Amino acid sequence: MDGPLIVQSDRTLLLEVDHPAAEEARRAIAPFAELERAPEHVHTYRLTPLGLWNASAAGHDAEQVVSALLDHSRYPVPHALLVDVAETMSRYGRLQLVDHPVHGLVLHAVDRAVLEEVLRAKRTAGMLGTRLDADDVAVHPSERGRLKQALVKLGWPAEDLAGYVDGEAHPIDLVTDGWALRPYQQQAADGFWHGGSGVVVLPCGAGKTIVGAAAMARAGSTTLILVTNTVAARQWRDELVKRTTLTPEEIGEYSGARKEVRPVTIATYQVLTTKRKGVYPHLELLDARDWGLIVYDEVHLLPAPIFRMTADLQARRRLGLTATLVREDGREDEVFSLIGPKRYDAPWKDIEAQGYIAPAVCTEVRLTLPDGERMTYATAEAEDRYRLAASAAGKNAVVEQLVARHADEQLLVIGQYLDQLELLADHLDAPLITGQTTVRERQRLFDAFRAGEVRRLVVSKVANFSVDLPEAAVAIQVSGTFGSRQEEAQRLGRIMRPKADGRTAHFYTVVSRDTVDQEFAAHRQRFLAEQGYAYRIVDAHDLDAEPL
Amino acid sequence: MATFTEHLRAMGAEGVAEVLHRRRDLAAPPPASARALAARASTRPSLDRALARVDAGVLATIEAVLVLPGPVTGDAVSQALGGRADAWLDTARDWALVWDDEAGLHAAPGLAELLGPHPAGLGPSLAETLARRSPEALAELAAELGCATDALAARLGEPETVSGLLDRAPAGARAVLEALAPGPPVGRTPGPGSPGTGAVGWLLRHGLLAVGDPQHVVLPREVALALRGGRLRPQPPEPPAAEATPIDPRVVAGEVTGHALEAVRLVGTLVEMWGAEPAPVLRSGGLGARELKRVAGALEVTVAEAAVVVEVAGAARLVTDDGEATPSFCPTTIADEWAQDDAARRWVELARAWLTAERAPWLVGTRDEAGALRGALDPAHRRPWVPRLRAAVLGVLAGADGRVDAEQVHAVLQWRAPRSAPTEHAVRAVLAEAALLGLTGAGALGEPARALLAGWADPDAAEPTPGGVTPEAAERAAAALDAALPAPVDEVLLGGDLTGVVPGRPTEALAALLADTAQVESRGAGLTVRFTEASVRTALDTRSGEEILAELAAHARSGVPQPLAYLVTDAARRHGQVRVGAAGAYLRGEPAALAALAGEPALRGLGLRTLAPGVLVTSAPPAALVGALRAAGLAAVIEDADGTVVHTERPRNRVRLRHRPPAAPDPELTRRRLLRVATDLLGVGTQADARDGAADRETDRDGTDGTPEPSETLAVLRAAVATGSEVWLEVATPGGPSRRRVKPLRVDAGRVRVLDAERAAELTVAVHRIADARPVEAPATTEREAWTDH
Repeated sequence: MDGPLIVQSDRTLLLEVDHPAAEEARRAIAPFAELERAPEHVHTYRLTPLGLWNASAAGHDAEQVVSALLDHSRYPVPHALLVDVAETMSRYGRLQLVDHPVHGLVLHAVDRAVLEEVLRAKRTAGMLGTRLDADDVAVHPSERGRLKQALVKLGWPAEDLAGYVDGEAHPIDLVTDGWALRPYQQQAADGFWHGGSGVVVLPCGAGKTIVGAAAMARAGSTTLILVTNTVAARQWRDELVKRTTLTPEEIGEYSGARKEVRPVTIATYQVLTTKRKGVYPHLELLDARDWGLIVYDEVHLLPAPIFRMTADLQARRRLGLTATLVREDGREDEVFSLIGPKRYDAPWKDIEAQGYIAPAVCTEVRLTLPDGERMTYATAEAEDRYRLAASAAGKNAVVEQLVARHADEQLLVIGQYLDQLELLADHLDAPLITGQTTVRERQRLFDAFRAGEVRRLVVSKVANFSVDLPEAAVAIQVSGTFGSRQEEAQRLGRIMRPKADGRTAHFYTVVSRDTVDQEFAAHRQRFLAEQGYAYRIVDAHDLDAEPL
Repeated sequence: MATFTEHLRAMGAEGVAEVLHRRRDLAAPPPASARALAARASTRPSLDRALARVDAGVLATIEAVLVLPGPVTGDAVSQALGGRADAWLDTARDWALVWDDEAGLHAAPGLAELLGPHPAGLGPSLAETLARRSPEALAELAAELGCATDALAARLGEPETVSGLLDRAPAGARAVLEALAPGPPVGRTPGPGSPGTGAVGWLLRHGLLAVGDPQHVVLPREVALALRGGRLRPQPPEPPAAEATPIDPRVVAGEVTGHALEAVRLVGTLVEMWGAEPAPVLRSGGLGARELKRVAGALEVTVAEAAVVVEVAGAARLVTDDGEATPSFCPTTIADEWAQDDAARRWVELARAWLTAERAPWLVGTRDEAGALRGALDPAHRRPWVPRLRAAVLGVLAGADGRVDAEQVHAVLQWRAPRSAPTEHAVRAVLAEAALLGLTGAGALGEPARALLAGWADPDAAEPTPGGVTPEAAERAAAALDAALPAPVDEVLLGGDLTGVVPGRPTEALAALLADTAQVESRGAGLTVRFTEASVRTALDTRSGEEILAELAAHARSGVPQPLAYLVTDAARRHGQVRVGAAGAYLRGEPAALAALAGEPALRGLGLRTLAPGVLVTSAPPAALVGALRAAGLAAVIEDADGTVVHTERPRNRVRLRHRPPAAPDPELTRRRLLRVATDLLGVGTQADARDGAADRETDRDGTDGTPEPSETLAVLRAAVATGSEVWLEVATPGGPSRRRVKPLRVDAGRVRVLDAERAAELTVAVHRIADARPVEAPATTEREAWTDH
């Protein structure tokens, strides 16, 4: 017994990364354990009922799980945990959702007592139809998603054998001239396709759009793509035209500006969730065609109404894409149960090591506030403190200093407060993009940035997501949405496209010392730190002495 | 026919010694004679004790000896039980519960009462039930069965007769008998007009049922036996097969070490917690429910587990009631010594304390008979039987090769001693505690615990006397645990996300360092901690930031990551930004004037210090400061919190006393109390006492060759009941002693039911009124002769 794995009694698994057998152990536990943290030396996985059931759904049995734990563990594995694993996994599949030739969607019991228990549960009220015989109950097709969710909550997850509708066929192929799917993209697309539905987690800049395109090619059917905003919609369109046999005419945009329904339609979350007089007028888009595949981009941002709508779409294949499946509202589980389980996940540092995303150095620059500002801060109302600390005047000088250091590189300054950003844009003589900037103007500025005509951009949170700026190599964050871990990761993601010359990307966050700004920064950095990005901390007045 | 006394005498010194070895209660104080021994051996408490320790097979055998028609042979017993009973019979003889002579096997006197009223679920014999019927009825029945009246009992007891009669019986009769046959043999007499009346009437007429009392009928013994096919029970008694599920010893060892270390840690944490802040003792003496909940919260365990931890710490005398005026539970100096030991020895201390503790932690939180909550560590809740229970439960595990579940353990204990078997709940609780403390792992006994048990109860002792574990066994147990423990790890892997992982069991030094500087995130085979500013801050009370970093670096294989170094340095920088000190009074005024004062020789004794320009402090009280300043010629005044000048008064020292209301005697209450005392004193006892006194005097006067020892009186009576013989009974009555020739029927609960043949009446006599009882054939003389023979 000298494995790389340590099994804790609280159901976490510690994987020592530097151990020679670490990779083998990782492969063995990946199907059933959730990666929770991946800092430098020891990665933490967690065993959850959902994870174990997903493993069951993927055809793993308890014996495999137990033997994977025993084989790779350095110390004896708690007996109670092994018993519990077997017990949890045995709960999966006692109920099945099947497509009955006569009655349509049917909940079938392999274990009759479980069916009786479920029928009496409050959670399933109204989801189940008539009892067909001792072992079968009809299910309203529209309740498929909600029923599955309810069954998971009851601890009796159903094995969904009802399959998916094929949708309207529409041939799509990848055009691989001068590029090929990367191994992890291939694995992610395959993992998704074999599972039928699910979520793929890849770092920003690792080519999630390509995974989407590959999935569309596998489906060969009409596809609905849901994205966060219009800029992202156009990026998707351009990428699809470039990477697949799809022509611009086959791709429609369904946004505030345009309402096109084509074989491949890209819609924004915003337009779908627009509510007029208590109804969602654009919801019919979901039924406008017989979609064979629905792609959810940035699935961590999925708004609540879309959750509800997704529950109705359980017969269609669903692919969720994200870099950061952390939701500050804690609804990760709902994403998994409605879109589908996690089908592919890789630590960011792994992809970086393979050279598919730019290596990044994260630096926290700590600024000591002058006494006057400290006093103002100390006496301010609690709700104003973050704003005061985050937009401290001293930050401007630090930003200028950093900009000077990276004079030759494409650089983004990202912040939260408009007055602070305006001031910075002024100082740096750089264009400013905020929510008030028109889509056309944004597009123009981003294009100019990509082309290298504009070297510096000051952006608000509109550029947090889905803005593809391949040549950006430096980002300076001056303020953010309080302690949002996901925002921090997405902002780092803006500079992680691999650079032509393999340059290292630099991510700076400027923080006021001994204030809530510093506390929030620590919280924001948690996700990235857990992904293995160790922040270097530098004092603002030492900045000159610090090597790049 | 011999008597029990003669049987004992015939056993010889060695035989009797064997009996005394098994039944220690017979030996202390040493009985004066064989008769006294026989008498003591037939008392209820002694028999109860003996029966409590024999297994179900022996009990069934004794029942068979009691109920089978004499003469009882070993073969008859085996047949009635449906399996060979020789071994059980031997055991029963060894315990002096069964004895034999030329007339067959006999149960020891007194057992019939103890195992009654219906041993083996059987009623009275036909001889007894038929005796209650009129001669006419008997003659009629004898004629119907074609036999003589005095052969009626024998004939009715034959299975053929019973089945022959039942073939002719009205509908429902067979069902009535079959319902009563498995026992208990008593049924309700159907009321007039109800469906069973006819059948029951017919059965009563034919002697297959007998009248028990006006409301009940009873099934005679022989009839029941015939219906049971001659067997006492449908299945022969058989020990339950405790099937152990084989389990990998490594799994057991893993579980045992994990739990043992955790138990040591939990107790250690409790000691530290109470060392910092002792827990108050309830007025009733225990630990309050809320306090226990607090412990559970701090230890991150359930309340039930916390109760075990607290009780074990108490049993090991690591914590105790400090006995102060406001008492609290506080660690002892033994705890300090304990903390110095290595983990294995610390565990051994806890395990042996638990094994021998007369405490039942699983009852903590339940309510007693009075409805009060049972608190942990409550000295009132001592339970001397608990160590025996633990020995029995773990003994079953020790004999099994693998895991045994609670149900099976309970079944085995139920077989081994049915009359003193613990409840399944208690067995479960003991097993849960053993698992929590690491004596068992995955349901099987661990090696360290096995070593401990080997040195605990003397397996040959008649009664496992739990007096503690031998030092050699403790040493072996510690060695066994040490061997199973994984090697401690002296390094921590520190991550950039401010977490640290110890890939294994941390060494004492590393564990202490991490306990001081970080929060634990997860435990198990390894240890995960998170460093936060708050966690570092506590450590800064005892060392500097640099020291913390140096200590961490000494243990960190991969170095201290920069964010952690910053965290510690930042916390250290902020540590002590605001400072607190004590002062008795301050002095404020013109900075220049005060600066001069600080150097004034006359004021040196006050220890004035400059805190800030214009502020001096001293530890002296304000009045003393004012006095000193005035003496030095400075007109100082005292000010209050707002700066208003306060006029000083002369000091007036007083001792604070609280007013207590005078204890006014409540005349009503006093009168009532006196009355109650008087009633208790006079009421119940008086007359009886007077009578008893008279009886005693009577006995003293002429009772020298009677049976002065009540237990011997009872023995004589029991022997008479067993043999159906008559005795001379001398009873103290208010009118003086009266002597009667009677036939004892039952001895029970301090009373004897006797049949006075002369007056044809049954009467009940209280045992304490019996002055003398001796067999009619005057066995006393025989005995004397027998003694002279020797």
